[in-house]
Amino acid sequence: MAGLANVIYSTFIRKNTVLLTTAFAGAFAFELAFDITSNKVWDSWNQGRQWKDIKHRYMVKEEEDEE
Amino acid sequence: MSLSSASSTLLRTVARQQLPTSRAAVTSCQRRGVADAKSSFESPFASANESGSTLKIPNFSKYKSNSSPRSNQVFSYFMAGSLGLASAVGAKATVQDFLVNMSASADVLAQAKVEIALGAIPEGKNVIIKWRGKPVFIRHRTQSEIDEARGSKWEGLRDPQPDEDRVQRPEWLVMLGVCTHLGCVPIGEAGDYGGWFCPCHGSHYDISGRIRKGPAPLNLEVPTYSFPEDETLVIG
Repeated sequence: MAGLANVIYSTFIRKNTVLLTTAFAGAFAFELAFDITSNKVWDSWNQGRQWKDIKHRYMVKEEEDEE
Repeated sequence: MSLSSASSTLLRTVARQQLPTSRAAVTSCQRRGVADAKSSFESPFASANESGSTLKIPNFSKYKSNSSPRSNQVFSYFMAGSLGLASAVGAKATVQDFLVNMSASADVLAQAKVEIALGAIPEGKNVIIKWRGKPVFIRHRTQSEIDEARGSKWEGLRDPQPDEDRVQRPEWLVMLGVCTHLGCVPIGEAGDYGGWFCPCHGSHYDISGRIRKGPAPLNLEVPTYSFPEDETLVIG
C-alpha cells in the first residue's frame, strides 16, 4: 500500500506542473466520456422517437416519389 | 458619683486596651480573608492553581489514521486534483455555452448564403446580386481583362494587393459592391481604368476592383465564397 502511494506520489504529485497537466488531461477525457455516455443514455431513453430513428420511413418514400 | 467615675475610668481603660487588640484582630482577619479567597475561589479559566492542566494533552489516538503518512498525502492531493479537474470541466462548459449562445443559429446561417448558377453569366458581363442586404458584383472576366489585371504593377497602388489574392478563379471576380469611401454602389464598366466608377465622389476602380483614383481608401471588399461545383458559386 505504501509502495503504491509512493509510486503515485513521485509520478503525479511531486511536480506541480505534472499534477496540473494530469488534471487538465483528465478533465478533457472526463468531458469526452461524460458526453458520449450521456448521449448514449439519451438515445436509449428515446429509442424510436428521434428523427434519426424514423428517418428511413419517410426518406425512402420521398425517393420513390422523385423517381 | 465616685463609683460611677471609677466605673467610667475602668471602661475607658478597657476601651483603650481593647483598641489595639481589636485592630490586630481585624487586620489578621483581613489577611486571612485574602488568603482564603485565593485558595477557595475557583476560576472558570485555568488559574495558577490549575497551571498543570494546560500541559495535559488530550488523547487523540482514536482519530489517528492507520495508513502511512505518504498515502494520506496522496489522498489529499488526489482530492485537490479532482477538484481542479471538476472546475476545469465546469469552466470550459460555462465559457462554451456563452460562446455558442453568441454565435449565429442554424436558420440564420442557412439564410446567409446565396447560390448562383454561373452558366447563365456570359463572358464579359457583370451581374449584381443581393447578399445580406448588400449588392455583390460578379464579373465574368475575359482573357484580356485577366491579363490586364495581372499585368499591371500593383506595388505602387494605394491599397497594394495582387490580383491573385483577390480572386479564386481568374475568370470570376466576386466582390462587394459597396464603395469603400462612403458606401455608394459603383457603376460597372465605367471609369478611367475599365472597371467600376463611383458616381458619388468619383472613385475609379480597375478590373480587379482595386482603387486607382479618387477618395476611396481601400479596394472593393472580397467576401468569402466558394465553388462547390464547377458551375456553381456560393457566397457566404
